[in-house]
Amino acid sequence: MADESASAMRAPVLEARGLVKEYKRVRAVDGIDLRVDAGERVALLGPNGAGKTTTLMMLLGVITPDEGEVEVVGKHLPRERSAAMEQVGFAAGYLPLPERLRVSEFLVLFGRLYGIRHPQEVVEQGLARFGITDLARAMGNELSSGQRTLVGIIKATLHQPQLLVLDEPTASLDPDVARRVRTGLERLCAEEGTALLVTSHNMLEVERLCERVVFVSGGRVVADGTPEGVAAHFGRADLEGVFLHLADGDETPEVDTPEVATPEERGREAS
Amino acid sequence: MNLDRVLAIARRQAYVLQRAPQRWFDVVVWPVVDSVLFGAIGVYFGRQQGAVAASAAFLLAGIILFHVVFQAEVSVATGFLEETWSRNLLNLMVTPISEIEYVAGVALFGIVKLAIGVSVVSLMALALFAFEITTLGLALVPLVAVLLVVGWSVALIVMGLILRMGQGAEIMTWGFIAVLLPLSGIFYPVDALPGALQPVAEALPTTHVFAAAQEVVRGRPLPWDEVAIGAGGALVLAALSVFFVTRMLATFRRRGYISRHV
Repeated sequence: MADESASAMRAPVLEARGLVKEYKRVRAVDGIDLRVDAGERVALLGPNGAGKTTTLMMLLGVITPDEGEVEVVGKHLPRERSAAMEQVGFAAGYLPLPERLRVSEFLVLFGRLYGIRHPQEVVEQGLARFGITDLARAMGNELSSGQRTLVGIIKATLHQPQLLVLDEPTASLDPDVARRVRTGLERLCAEEGTALLVTSHNMLEVERLCERVVFVSGGRVVADGTPEGVAAHFGRADLEGVFLHLADGDETPEVDTPEVATPEERGREAS
Repeated sequence: MNLDRVLAIARRQAYVLQRAPQRWFDVVVWPVVDSVLFGAIGVYFGRQQGAVAASAAFLLAGIILFHVVFQAEVSVATGFLEETWSRNLLNLMVTPISEIEYVAGVALFGIVKLAIGVSVVSLMALALFAFEITTLGLALVPLVAVLLVVGWSVALIVMGLILRMGQGAEIMTWGFIAVLLPLSGIFYPVDALPGALQPVAEALPTTHVFAAAQEVVRGRPLPWDEVAIGAGGALVLAALSVFFVTRMLATFRRRGYISRHV
């Protein structure tokens, strides 16, 4: 029984193989493999233009890859996109809320789109989880960027997805709101077993929130491992050091650390 | 098709109309302006000697039926545009909703907007010019049905253009309809158009619907052959528009045009 449970926890909720995307002869994504297991908290990191957002959009079926395939909770994209998205939540720090909807209306709308028959109760629980029940009747355009982010995350988690994808969730948030986001996410992942795939430029936050980091540079995965392992792999004290190292255009690790897997090694482990 | 998702989208569109006063312009102000304009022109020409055919009834029937196409098209196209204006497209695209469910939801509320718009223009025609559109009787049913299909088809083409070209293509929401207006022989027979445009007009399904409506206004029976040509043309247009928007959506996904909407 325990083995079955452990096996279920290790089952992938997301598997992408050989993703390639070219825009006008510029290769934005160049053969990315990515696997996220159930309950795992993974960060997809890299400098601006590294290919993170394009990768996320391909994982969500919004952009069609030129090559490669994506499987979300066992459903193949794009053929089974609708069924796959029933198990995925997405929020981005840069997305506004529609102006002409109240927060509760916005959340109820998306609850219904995610197939929740009576979303009102779930919406109230979500608002309570992130401590913003007082915003239920506020209009979307009356919220601060931090409040918008929280509402976006609640929207993405209403249907208790198996995979939560967050693009820059804490960009432009003050430390207090960023902490509430992080605490809420940690609680959600612990209580629901939700897997998390997050992009962020806040390396400290990633170190606190994620157990695994995947660094992307030039459209390729250049490192994949624990935050400490990846930092050691590049001979840096922390992820910020790795980030700056990659932003300078240098992808070469300075120390050979066996605990940090190359994409090929992770593929072999998975199979 | 998941009915809950369709209704959720329709409800979202209802909130937009409820809270955006400018959206009432299409469904109230245009109908009032058109009924006053074409009714007055009709009355004026009706008073001229030898201009009996250009009566207020003739023009008002035309403008009321034109508003079926106009409201059907504009309500669906602006419904989709609202998602681009409010940068909500990405939020929707990562939910389980299918393209058909989305369009059905927007079209469902579009019928409400159409009912409001056509009611306004009909009531204005009745109040100001004593013209009752219901005098066309049951002939209205097939005519309205064909015009509805044309309106929705044009809306799908506009959605395809917005997906392909971005928000700059929003002008086509009103632009296509403005082109249909003179070419469809709504207020005059097609042979009044310049010779080069007459084949274009004949190819439009709307031309045959309006020709059929004019016959009924003249007190003659509904010419079913014209309705059939109009219906056939509308079905061809519908098939082409579905093909076009599907291709444009594939291009949108392939070229990563979502970046224009975030």
